[in-house]
Amino acid sequence: MGQLLRDIFSFGDRPLSERIVLLVFMAVVLTFPWLAESAYARAVMIKFLLIALFGLGWNLIGGYGGQVDLGQAKNVGFGAYATALMMFHWRTSFWLTVPVGIFFATLESFAVAYPMFRLRGHYFAIATLCVALVWKELFIFWDWTGGARGVEIPIKPTPNFTYMQFGSVGYHYFIFGLFMAQFLFMNWFRKSKLGYQLQAVRDNEDAAASLGINVTGTKVIAYCITAALGAVGGSFMTAYYLYIDPDLVMPLDLSILIAMTVMVGGAGSIWGPMIGAAALIPLDMYLGAWLAGGGHYGIDFMIYGFIIMIIAAYEPKGIWGMIERLTKRG
Amino acid sequence: MLLRVESLVKEFGGLVANADISLEVEQGEIVGLIGPNGAGKTTLFNCIVGYYKPTSGNVSFVGEDITGWPAHRVAKMGIARTFQNLRIMPLLTVEENIMVGAFCRTGDRQIARRDAHEILELVNLTGEAHASPTELPIASQKRIELARALATKPRLLMLDELAAGLNPLETKEIIQTLHRIKEERNLTLFLTEHVMEFIMIISERVIVMAAGRKIAEGTPEKVAKEERVIEAYLGERYAEGR
Repeated sequence: MGQLLRDIFSFGDRPLSERIVLLVFMAVVLTFPWLAESAYARAVMIKFLLIALFGLGWNLIGGYGGQVDLGQAKNVGFGAYATALMMFHWRTSFWLTVPVGIFFATLESFAVAYPMFRLRGHYFAIATLCVALVWKELFIFWDWTGGARGVEIPIKPTPNFTYMQFGSVGYHYFIFGLFMAQFLFMNWFRKSKLGYQLQAVRDNEDAAASLGINVTGTKVIAYCITAALGAVGGSFMTAYYLYIDPDLVMPLDLSILIAMTVMVGGAGSIWGPMIGAAALIPLDMYLGAWLAGGGHYGIDFMIYGFIIMIIAAYEPKGIWGMIERLTKRG
Repeated sequence: MLLRVESLVKEFGGLVANADISLEVEQGEIVGLIGPNGAGKTTLFNCIVGYYKPTSGNVSFVGEDITGWPAHRVAKMGIARTFQNLRIMPLLTVEENIMVGAFCRTGDRQIARRDAHEILELVNLTGEAHASPTELPIASQKRIELARALATKPRLLMLDELAAGLNPLETKEIIQTLHRIKEERNLTLFLTEHVMEFIMIISERVIVMAAGRKIAEGTPEKVAKEERVIEAYLGERYAEGR
């Protein structure tokens, strides 16, 4: 038990400089509502934490597992819809809907994982993308889920801890709590037996099998955990946006944004998702808004694409890879 | 009997890579499997440890039929192997590579790390524990593979061309290491090689393969004198002309 707690909370194996940056980061996020009064800045911060949280989960299969999954939005959708539908139909408390979302995301992932992991590389990526698109279409045409009209959840006077509805400060700490929970889970995971075995599978499947690792089984478990982590963020989206439809919680753009966040930040590193989200989200929300305000639609996407091309061409390990290289040299 | 292979056949399409191979390895032995390039040694290894399913025939280990078992189950049973073409995990450190091997027997990271350090010492790699394996010379990488296999606590260690690409000094060092780990870990060694010098020194018994068949078996001295073996290595004309 003591060992487990130490594995969850300890960053002792990381250099002192990284631990200091983590503390500064946490201090800034904790005091952010006092640092930034504007509603837009707070919304940007919440979006940053949400995408970083999605990145944490995706980093498990995509970074530590090396499997390019372009369908994480379907799991976000399962979480979001579990929360929205249970609140809408049965007035269920948020905290009871989260396990249901996790359950359906995990169940679906387990069911599709075996056939999908018969595929490798690009073919696996295409398969994940297709499965996610199929689910989105199903939710668009299914009446019980509200179809393309979406689901509106009952709005309550804030703060409400059953439906988890707050003002911008409340949502800020709500998402930060969820983010920290997944961050600490990943801190445990990267040091766990499963974490090492998954990295071994990523690095060399033949070698992994020779060391007693069930290669397909390990990938399937990783895929299911990633699904469960994504569903939690989906549930938050419902509580935050108060209204969801397939275009908001299950779009292809979201799957790609999640994967890109991790790849830009540094796949397979505990810091990667945070760095990636910090690089992409403010850029998207400020630059995009500013340029669109001046009538220059699409320029932010070009800058986006350019950054990703540069990183893909020169530093496959993302921004974290660059930082590591620079600090090692110095 | 530790390992028993009975009438094993492996065909790829029309090509017969292993034709009716039978052999036995006893606890504590050092058995060498030799033969020219393309004799089918690696194919036989892969059939035993579960990378290929034999077309027909049987493989049993400590009395249990393991024919066609997947590789990870064979590893759990107690057979570890190294690869002819190195399969190091490049993004993990040397220590982590070996810890992954140790996780075959434990779920506890502290135990895995302790095991890894014991083994690093055994193969003289203690100084490189935190290095990136791809930055090390080939001889060290071979030691990492050996250490990683060892970390799974096998009863039978199968080494596929461990000495290939090593210079004479490095070969000598790895022979010493092998003897040391065999004694300390109570191991049985089954190794392939097409370089005669290495295998003749280390093996107590040698099995010779050529063109997918087993053509001779016995002590290194006896086998080296056999007509069929010389023929297989040096060609028919050479044997006739002598």
